[in-house]
Amino acid sequence: MHERSLIRSLLRQVGQIVVAEGGGQVTEIRVQVGDLSGVEPLLFQMAFDDMVPALFSSDCRLALEMVPVTAVCSECKHQFEIVDFQFRCPKCQTNLVQVIQGDEVKLISVSINSNNSIEGVAS
Amino acid sequence: MNQRTIVVQRDVQSDQKADAAAERERLGRRGTLVVNLLSSPGAGKTTLLEATARHFADRRSIAVLVGDLETDRDAQRLSPLMPVAQLTTGGACHLELPLVQRGLKALGDPEVDFLFIENVGNLVCPASHDLAEHLRIVLISTTEGDDKPGKYPKMFRTSQAMVITKLDLLPHVPFSVEAVTEDAHRIQPQLKVLTNCALNGSGIENWCNFLEEQHQQQLAIYHEPAGNR
Ligand SMILES: [Zn+2]
Repeated sequence: MHERSLIRSLLRQVGQIVVAEGGGQVTEIRVQVGDLSGVEPLLFQMAFDDMVPALFSSDCRLALEMVPVTAVCSECKHQFEIVDFQFRCPKCQTNLVQVIQGDEVKLISVSINSNNSIEGVAS
Repeated sequence: MNQRTIVVQRDVQSDQKADAAAERERLGRRGTLVVNLLSSPGAGKTTLLEATARHFADRRSIAVLVGDLETDRDAQRLSPLMPVAQLTTGGACHLELPLVQRGLKALGDPEVDFLFIENVGNLVCPASHDLAEHLRIVLISTTEGDDKPGKYPKMFRTSQAMVITKLDLLPHVPFSVEAVTEDAHRIQPQLKVLTNCALNGSGIENWCNFLEEQHQQQLAIYHEPAGNR
């Protein structure tokens, strides 16, 4: 269950952002999870639901998006999606390919609701 | 009410990855190659470490951090052969860098040629955590079946070598070295494949030569004479 450890890191990052933004209520956290990240989406969601109320409101939503593994061929520069973990270029058949997307867990955006009406004016 | 969305686009583990990179650099600079050993339970990590310690004997200094869910049995087995620190995860499925750093401290931050991390037995969760290793090694025993790489792609994709253990059992189990190698190479073409047998000691010399080679190659960037302690 390394999902809990990832959620802990995620919520720590969100916490830093909220502080930097001058506070407010977090309503939505958007996250991209790659198919090669080893994360099980259901367990990730469960860990989130379990841990988020301690830090933010339980109304805070997790918007989870799965990202297919994308690679670029080192030989012919062809960009393609990795299916069934076959790390081979479909064009030139080389296996010298570089994963450019789909192996990480990424915080995309944080939506914050602030009751602070001055804020909009001041900035 | 003021609703706004802040675009972040940041790896959730970026802080941990930066910490791991700094620790890797610190250890590498002074000539320590960090080797993270991963496998299912019972694949033979402890046995491999025992054989490694015997082979290196006085020629190379090594230390090991042993990750275990609850017990210290592996640590007890290894402690006559090398400095050992036990990292008990309390049931957690993987090790994280702060545990590794605590273990290093417990050992007195020794200046060894090789620091091994015996990860907890699990082919999924440990793959997602950088423990400051220079080398990630996945062990697979002939008793486990040869379909593991395809089932645990991230583990095999992020490792630099696969060590096949318990080769002496090959006649008795449905396991093909060719099949597992082919499966692993589909996921990680650059994966180095090594085999060994703890019973008769075959393959241990190759394994230790590989470690020596990696020590030289990987630490060359730090411009330090590769450990002549
Ligand atoms: Zn190509």
